[in-house]
Amino acid sequence: MPERFVIPIGPQHPALKEPGHFEFTVDGETVTGASARLGYAHRGIEKATEARTWVQDLYLLERICGICSHVHATAYALGVERLAGVTAPPRAQAIRVLVGEMERVHSHLLWLGVAAHEAGFETLFMYSWRDRETIMDSLEALTGNRVNYSANLLGGVKFDVDTGQADAIRRGIDFLESRTRIYLDLVTTDEVFLRRTRGIGVMTAAQAETLGVVGPTARASGVARDIRVDAAYAAYPDFPVGITLEQTGDLAARFVVRVKELFESYRLIRTVLDGLPAGDLVAKMPRHVPEGETISRVEAPRGELFYFIRSGGRSRPDRVKVRTPTLCNMASVLTLTIGHQLADVPMILVGVDPCFSCNDRTVVIRDAATGQRWTWARLRQHGIEAYR
Amino acid sequence: MNTEAALERATAIVAAWGPAADHPEPARVDVAVARDDLLAAVGALRTASWGYLSAITGLDLPSRGELEVLYHFCEGAAIVTLRVRLPKGDAAIPSICGVIPSASFFERELGEMFGVTVVGTPDAARLFLPDDWPEGVYPLRKDFTPGGAAGGGEPHA
Repeated sequence: MPERFVIPIGPQHPALKEPGHFEFTVDGETVTGASARLGYAHRGIEKATEARTWVQDLYLLERICGICSHVHATAYALGVERLAGVTAPPRAQAIRVLVGEMERVHSHLLWLGVAAHEAGFETLFMYSWRDRETIMDSLEALTGNRVNYSANLLGGVKFDVDTGQADAIRRGIDFLESRTRIYLDLVTTDEVFLRRTRGIGVMTAAQAETLGVVGPTARASGVARDIRVDAAYAAYPDFPVGITLEQTGDLAARFVVRVKELFESYRLIRTVLDGLPAGDLVAKMPRHVPEGETISRVEAPRGELFYFIRSGGRSRPDRVKVRTPTLCNMASVLTLTIGHQLADVPMILVGVDPCFSCNDRTVVIRDAATGQRWTWARLRQHGIEAYR
Repeated sequence: MNTEAALERATAIVAAWGPAADHPEPARVDVAVARDDLLAAVGALRTASWGYLSAITGLDLPSRGELEVLYHFCEGAAIVTLRVRLPKGDAAIPSICGVIPSASFFERELGEMFGVTVVGTPDAARLFLPDDWPEGVYPLRKDFTPGGAAGGGEPHA
């Protein structure tokens, strides 16, 4: 019997600066098997929602992910509004889409940098992250925050967009569009870079269907799946999205899909700014949400984000289930790496744009000196003292 | 595709195992399925290429002494949920990984969070919970409070 050699990757920095643990069985340099262990950033958020009010949960759920915080809050707000029989005003829905697309731009540019870094293309990494600051500045100017924008309220949004802000966003988008043309050219023509992406981690459309992948990962394999198109929510029915598809299903296609989606987001941002409906920003929400269950699906930068929300007619939800796109896409990494060189593993992992915080959502803290578990009260006290 | 038509088609596909379909929202149909019929119903949706498995949700229903497992399938905007009730004393359900291999992570999460034994799932190892999490403690059951096993206090104290 041939001896199996298992290479552990993680839990620290498996490829990007987030925690996850993988074990790859190799024969020489070739991967023959793979398994995953997640949860290093699991914080018990689903459980925590059951002990908080409907409003508190909005802020909690927005903190599932620092990259795509807005889309979590949007999924939750839309679901709770539906249960309460409330529809947010058109202007609020349009601002949700606006911030959602700005978030997608920052997320895709962030990913482009990380993926370039994994390929050893540090120049692209630095440039894309420098450019990303443009949209981060716009988000900060609009919302007051670089992350966790807190744009949503139950029943609407918190802030308006004035003409000055709109013009500043347009200028930023113009600059980013010119830069993104360079990136598209680069990821499709740079021969050295293509050696790391073309024909690597190929997933056929049939495989993508079987593996249940979502978002850009699916669309790079020709699977037309985009919740903004399939089940348009918020203001997407008024600002329709053109789906971005590629057919080759390799890493190169995943680069092309995400970079092309940036152009679609730029177009959407301009369209929304030009056609922002007039009117109120918030509809009145009842304090108690009637008994019922709902499902809310939105298109996060990484794909379909799924919320199941159940109300027992009380001031807090009975159950909030969150299924993030990374959980769907992670399984594909285990399958796709098999047969590839070990050196391709980080690229294939990064190719699905994994978000571990989204995925994991218990952290147990131990005192380094005594080995004792900290209680919640101890942790809270520590926080108060540390930031006094 | 027309959402209503998609829902009607799905209802017809699983009618043999779940005749009483509920229509709680315009884009949703819920179908109660017995545990022994789950594989047949999932297999029928798969054979008919109706949608994809989007998520598996666990629910604890303490007043009934039951757990409920929800299998959500999506096709465009249409969502069909197969709902399976399990007595808490016998919380076992067959794995659907033979039909849908990508359900593995969903089933691992369901197992560790709700204490549902997923019979035949290819990998029952913990996915999210820490290695030193106590055996037999399932955090998403209603009788679990974070003040217990995890050593925390009231989260909203």
